[in-house]
Amino acid sequence: MPDEETLEESVLNPVKPEIQDPLLRALLADEPAAAAAPVDTPLEQPQALPAEANEVDCVVIGLGAGGAPLLARLAMAGLKVVALEAGPWHNPGKDFATDEQAQNFLFWNDERLAAGRDPLAMGKNNSGTGVGGSTLHYTAYTPRPLPDDLHLKRDFGKGEDWPFGYEELEPYYEELEQFLGISGPTPYPWGPGRRKGYPLAPLPLNGAAQLMVRGAGKLGIRTSPAANAALSARYYQEGIGWREACTNRGFCQAGCSNGAKASMDVTFIPLAVKHGADIRPSSFVTEIERDAQGRITGVVYTQNGEQQRQRCRHLFLCAGSVETPRLLLLNELALTSGQVGKNLMAHPGVQVFGTFAESVRPNKGIPGALISQDTHRPQDADFVGGYLLQSIGIMPVTFAGQVARGRKFWGQRLRDYMKSYNHVAGINILGDCLPHADNYLELAEEKDARGLPKPRLHFTAQENEVRMNQHAEALMRRIWEAAGATDIWAFPRYAHVIGTARMGLSGDDAVVDANGRAFDVPNLYICDNSVFPSALSVNPALTIMALSLRTADKFLKSQQRRDA
Amino acid sequence: MPVPTYPSGTVRALLGTEHVSEATRAALQERLAAPATYEPQFLSAEAYALLEAVASRLFPQPDRPEQPIALAPALDDRLAKGLADGWRYDALPPDREAMRLGLGGIQEIAQSLFQADFLALAPEQQDAVLHALADGRPPGAAWQTLDAGRFFEELLAGLTETYYAHPLAQEEIGYVGMADLPAWTKIGLNEREDREPDEANEQRLSS
Repeated sequence: MPDEETLEESVLNPVKPEIQDPLLRALLADEPAAAAAPVDTPLEQPQALPAEANEVDCVVIGLGAGGAPLLARLAMAGLKVVALEAGPWHNPGKDFATDEQAQNFLFWNDERLAAGRDPLAMGKNNSGTGVGGSTLHYTAYTPRPLPDDLHLKRDFGKGEDWPFGYEELEPYYEELEQFLGISGPTPYPWGPGRRKGYPLAPLPLNGAAQLMVRGAGKLGIRTSPAANAALSARYYQEGIGWREACTNRGFCQAGCSNGAKASMDVTFIPLAVKHGADIRPSSFVTEIERDAQGRITGVVYTQNGEQQRQRCRHLFLCAGSVETPRLLLLNELALTSGQVGKNLMAHPGVQVFGTFAESVRPNKGIPGALISQDTHRPQDADFVGGYLLQSIGIMPVTFAGQVARGRKFWGQRLRDYMKSYNHVAGINILGDCLPHADNYLELAEEKDARGLPKPRLHFTAQENEVRMNQHAEALMRRIWEAAGATDIWAFPRYAHVIGTARMGLSGDDAVVDANGRAFDVPNLYICDNSVFPSALSVNPALTIMALSLRTADKFLKSQQRRDA
Repeated sequence: MPVPTYPSGTVRALLGTEHVSEATRAALQERLAAPATYEPQFLSAEAYALLEAVASRLFPQPDRPEQPIALAPALDDRLAKGLADGWRYDALPPDREAMRLGLGGIQEIAQSLFQADFLALAPEQQDAVLHALADGRPPGAAWQTLDAGRFFEELLAGLTETYYAHPLAQEEIGYVGMADLPAWTKIGLNEREDREPDEANEQRLSS
């Protein structure tokens, strides 16, 4: 019998969001949010199109992990904010099917061109659209980076350092874990001690996680239930209300239908709406307008086939690491550093699958239930940086597609192998990646359905990524052998697109400064995974959100200075 | 490990229950109710017949002689509507052009290996043509401009994802994840909810 996983009964614990930033606390105290907050805006209610003459304080482009947290922060500070999201506003409870194919509308399906020797699969792998962005289909895996992740160059002489240290992000990680209701282990086994534990106990381990515990344990590798932004118990948040516990559907990557997963549409966006933010779904931005001094004056976008203009005093570009650089390149904006589109990184994410005598039924439970960060800086590494190990559950169509691409099985052989689906379990890594001149995004001649040049993403794994993958694949094969797997195979894969408008100390080699403000354009801020100076050895969503809150706080502080 | 088999009828039985949400039921029933005949919208009749023949070798369904799960319609429909899935290998031309070139190239391989039309070949010969394509260096002028390995990968992945999206193909692999209401509570190793099918051969595997 497998070990019974005993889960602490989580306490139903209404938590009041704790605002980290003293300035925002002051702002909130001075100016009660209620003054700016209309009654709840029902999700389906169409927003009236405003007259173009209206200037707002801030326009935010993109409502994923980069745009939604700062939108809420700015709205809570009493600013007049408008959010433009290319995709629609969904009603997950009613519209989200437990069916991979039916959920394809969650992905950015305009065609992007994947070039280089390790072309990056986009669509369902690396993109998102809709109010909530990619968080609508992220796996909810939310480990913090370890402090040295931000200092690759300092420690190895390669890659880039972040322009600030972990201590700058730490308060935001803590705030986010409490606000989102992250389920995870307390204490956390890796990294520095924490002031607060996770607010909820970890989610239960599924079959793949139990097998990884067994295999890793035999090799002396420590494992732990992972931090996941999905609720292991009902959770209450001021400004949001109750969210229900995870039902172990295992369909995080195809959209959560009950709000247990902390996607932006059930967390920061309702909070922003409550504080007066104007959300405009299905609004695709085409043009960013400037005055003679180069300051942004507004944006032009298409909504329901109609062209609209929205004037603004400040623009927050949070469209993700493909659309953000595309908008900058199309508008010839913030280009003087020459770094827009450059430094494209993608996390090595090789997956190793094996077949087990036990039944696994890998569609059930939070997919990434287990983690190990023992490989963060492996002793025997012949590469820079490191990686984390993660057990993975997988949905059937995704798995079948990977078998076709990765094993090149077809005919009866493919059908026979797929009949082992209920006995298959996977592990994968998420590893750091170094920027390289060969890896970049550019605009192709070829036009997409909107008549705009298609982004072309060049990616070739370099020596460091290749060595890391080899190290990781060998280790994961050993773990699966120790756990009793047969028919072990590896699926090479890269996840997340990072770094295409990077942050740095100087406008000579970076697009935005340490506060997220464009060096070239004083009223342009960028916040999404395009600003990451290095890829980090953890999944990016939590750090994007932390940067988003920090960007908002830095902006608000600069505004207060100006007003004073 | 022996290949598990599962009882038939489980998915259809579950679709009518409260374990399946409305949105899920609608998606799956549409696939179950797909009309038996399909008029190609993008490909010519000849090209479509060729695609069907290729699909039936990549996914042979001797167990469904009367009504195999149709795979070619989804591909033709997607080409007709010009639907993209978010990306394309830069090495390949746009999807429509790739399909036209690739199907022509498959005929070239058939002619080169067996001096006959693909449709006129015996199943083993058709498989030999597809093996040549899958290996990435097939004979034929088309493959001078079209990356054979990538074309085959995309074709196979497209057919595979179509096949395993079908409720009957999901039933074949013992998957009933669509019946996820109200929750899954037995998610560990060797744990099974009552509504999940057990393997038909009843062999209880111990850890």
